[in-house]
Amino acid sequence: MSLPSAHLFIQTLILGILVGGVYALMASGLTLIFGVMKVINVAHGAFLILGAYLTYLLFQWFKLDPIISIAITMPLFFLFGWLLQKYVFSRIESPEQTSVLVTFALALILEGLLGAIFQTTARSVTPSYSTATIILATYRIPVTRLAGFVTALVVLLILYYVLERTRLGRAVRATIQDPRAAQLVGVKISMVSAFTFALGVSTAAAGGSLLSMIYTFNPASQGDWVAKTLAIIVLGGMGSLPGALIASLILGVMEQLTAIIVTLYWSPIVFYVFLFLTLIVRPQGLMGEVIREKG
Amino acid sequence: MPMLQLDNVFASYIPGVEILRGVSLRVEQGEIVCLVGPNGAGKSTVLRAVSGFLKPSKGSITFNGKSIGGMPPQKILTEGITHVPQGHSVFPKMTIHENLLMGAFTVMDQKVIEQRLEKVYSLFSWLKIRSKEKAGNLSGGQQKIVEIGRALMLEPPLMILDEPSLGLAPKTMSELFENIRELNRNGLTILMVEQNAREGLASAHRGYVLELGKDKFEGTAKELLDSPEMAKLYLGGSTDEDSYRRRRGRWA
Ligand SMILES: Nc1ncnc2c1ncn2[C@@H]1O[C@H](COP(=O)(O)OP(=O)(O)OP(=O)(O)O)[C@@H](O)[C@H]1O
Ligand SMILES: [Mg+2]
Repeated sequence: MSLPSAHLFIQTLILGILVGGVYALMASGLTLIFGVMKVINVAHGAFLILGAYLTYLLFQWFKLDPIISIAITMPLFFLFGWLLQKYVFSRIESPEQTSVLVTFALALILEGLLGAIFQTTARSVTPSYSTATIILATYRIPVTRLAGFVTALVVLLILYYVLERTRLGRAVRATIQDPRAAQLVGVKISMVSAFTFALGVSTAAAGGSLLSMIYTFNPASQGDWVAKTLAIIVLGGMGSLPGALIASLILGVMEQLTAIIVTLYWSPIVFYVFLFLTLIVRPQGLMGEVIREKG
Repeated sequence: MPMLQLDNVFASYIPGVEILRGVSLRVEQGEIVCLVGPNGAGKSTVLRAVSGFLKPSKGSITFNGKSIGGMPPQKILTEGITHVPQGHSVFPKMTIHENLLMGAFTVMDQKVIEQRLEKVYSLFSWLKIRSKEKAGNLSGGQQKIVEIGRALMLEPPLMILDEPSLGLAPKTMSELFENIRELNRNGLTILMVEQNAREGLASAHRGYVLELGKDKFEGTAKELLDSPEMAKLYLGGSTDEDSYRRRRGRWA
């Protein structure tokens, strides 16, 4: 264990924040879906990896830049998510209780299918700038990380705009806050659920595209990613978008700092210990609300 | 023809356990009708059957001559009946402005929404002044006004109010009833449930007493208020402990 110099410390902080931004995008859909439907989508990691493979194919076949490919993968996943919720998940009774099992099964199916097609080889998308770095005031910043961060930010801002400024987005928030009152003013919960699920899955597409150029992945990576994004939304408070953002930045910075102070292998351990300690003090997570029983 | 008519309505939450056992009542255009009765009599259940949140198992419900019994709630809403439920139902983390907009969720015409917003703001001017405040931070009485304002965004011919005065301080309560009478003078027809029978009936034209899922008495508000039987049975008001219990939690 060694303490880093101030320069290295700031360098690490920058990297942590860049990674954290991408995590925030990856976790946003998961927390949103939970907020509206009280469903834990264990297939979220598989959606991320599916998005990564789609980006990989678009790159292999058409030399399409992974960031540009988001313009294709997001709408496609939106449609996929909508159909999945409307025709499959909506048929499941008491989703609060069974969703974990059902989405876990879906994750395994997706992992199996991807394994059959792509085997277990670790892949990654390597655009021309994949090894480039820029130097900003003596700090080295990998271009893919910076581009990933900026893209994540843009997608999150669009998501924020949809939720805050549009009629459907307002209906989503209303349903999170009080589903019965939402019905009272004419919101159809089934429609809002389909929209939310579609939105959540489409953010996984964007997250997957970024993942594909920043990390290597194979079908089994879905397990790591669902664990990571779940940990983020539990820390941030299930259902809270701002919470997910803060937790993502904490995770990103903590991982990077642990990696230079101790070793890379300690990163997850330190984060999970932090998560447990936080939950002991705040069982509802950083920005979560204590669930009240309604009379 | 009455605006709203219930004829021998039966309804249950659990099959076989009938909560409403033959309720008949009517609301004429321009009236305030007050439904009173003891806890658990089924008052809220009557309102839920009207707004479609509970399907009646038997009997008919007509609105302006059209049968609405068993229609989905969204459909009944667009027919022109809005329901302000018991307890609190504002969207707590939305601003007053956004809460009102949610009231017009089923309205597509942006111009119409603007006009109605102005109308609600002119009825309750403090709503406009505080439009950017989160509804969850308002007092109970203020939240009730937001809920009523939200329901007005549909310009409904009929509003049903479930115990609007529940948990309010006496002064706020009388202001609320004054607001309700004012809305009625402006043409809104109201079916209201009140635990606080004396105050409720005092603001109403006619009333019904509901007991064990059946309408037991009907009369003008004055008749009910003056009847010695009623006075003994129902006009004592609820006990403090009772209203404390009922104030907790949101709407049931
Ligand atoms: N969702 C529900 N499921 C099952 N039973 C219910 C449900 N809601 C109400 N009940 C039962 O129906 C009966 C009538 O309830 P309701 O809420 O209509 O009474 P109320 O007259 O409005 O009483 P209060 O004055 O307490 O509001 C009660 O016995 C209650 O326990
Ligand atoms: Mg009631």
